Amino acid sequence: MEVSEFDEIEFFRAVHESGARALLIGRRALVILGLPVLTADYDFWIHIDDAAAFNRAAEPFGLVPTRAPEEARRRGRYALENLEKVDVLVARVVPTVDGVDVSFQDVWTRRGGLDLAPGVRVELPTLDDLILTKRFAARPKDLEDIRLLEVLRSAEAKDRGER
Amino acid sequence: MSADGYRPSAEVVKRLRALNERRLSREEVEAALRTPISDSEREEILALVAWFRRRYPTPLDRLAYVRRAYRRWQSALELTDQRPEEG
Repeated sequence: MEVSEFDEIEFFRAVHESGARALLIGRRALVILGLPVLTADYDFWIHIDDAAAFNRAAEPFGLVPTRAPEEARRRGRYALENLEKVDVLVARVVPTVDGVDVSFQDVWTRRGGLDLAPGVRVELPTLDDLILTKRFAARPKDLEDIRLLEVLRSAEAKDRGER
Repeated sequence: MSADGYRPSAEVVKRLRALNERRLSREEVEAALRTPISDSEREEILALVAWFRRRYPTPLDRLAYVRRAYRRWQSALELTDQRPEEG
């Protein structure tokens, strides 16, 4: 399949159908949850064994990996690029700036899925885990996003009747 | 460009981007995380979320909105090399 103009929903469908264990993180995840933040790129955290499958899913969209899967695994991250940019974390464990080791497997196990459209499911970390991922890069805008997510988390806890 | 017509130079934009993209220290992060969220900040965020979810009720609507908003932002800048980095 060739896609001349980036079709976002078809991209998510291809990722879903690839079978790659791929978590959408970054600001695009915040947007899905209802936080209006501006973003240019897509950010995924994928299972360390699934880079090849993820790349195959992205290929029809003209997205070219910046590193071969083996090198990407060694470095822990790579990108898929063309008219769009997809940043990919491909590490079993990523430390936060304040010293918490976050395991892909744990985050994947706790994840919540969400149907974008029939047959198009996107996998998202829990709010707690999304906040943790924002402490990986720990840039000023990540701290802003953490505050947004914390407000959302406390509102949802309140809705569930928690303190 | 701001409402009064001021357009920052490419150098200023570059420096601002560098500031915004720098990795903060552990101490800076811990200090920021300790800063409480005020009631007014909380209300403002929740109002924004309520508007966004009401105006764009499905995740697809929200994703499409952000793609449009990003294109508008990019057009307004008229500088193709000033895309925000993402994370």
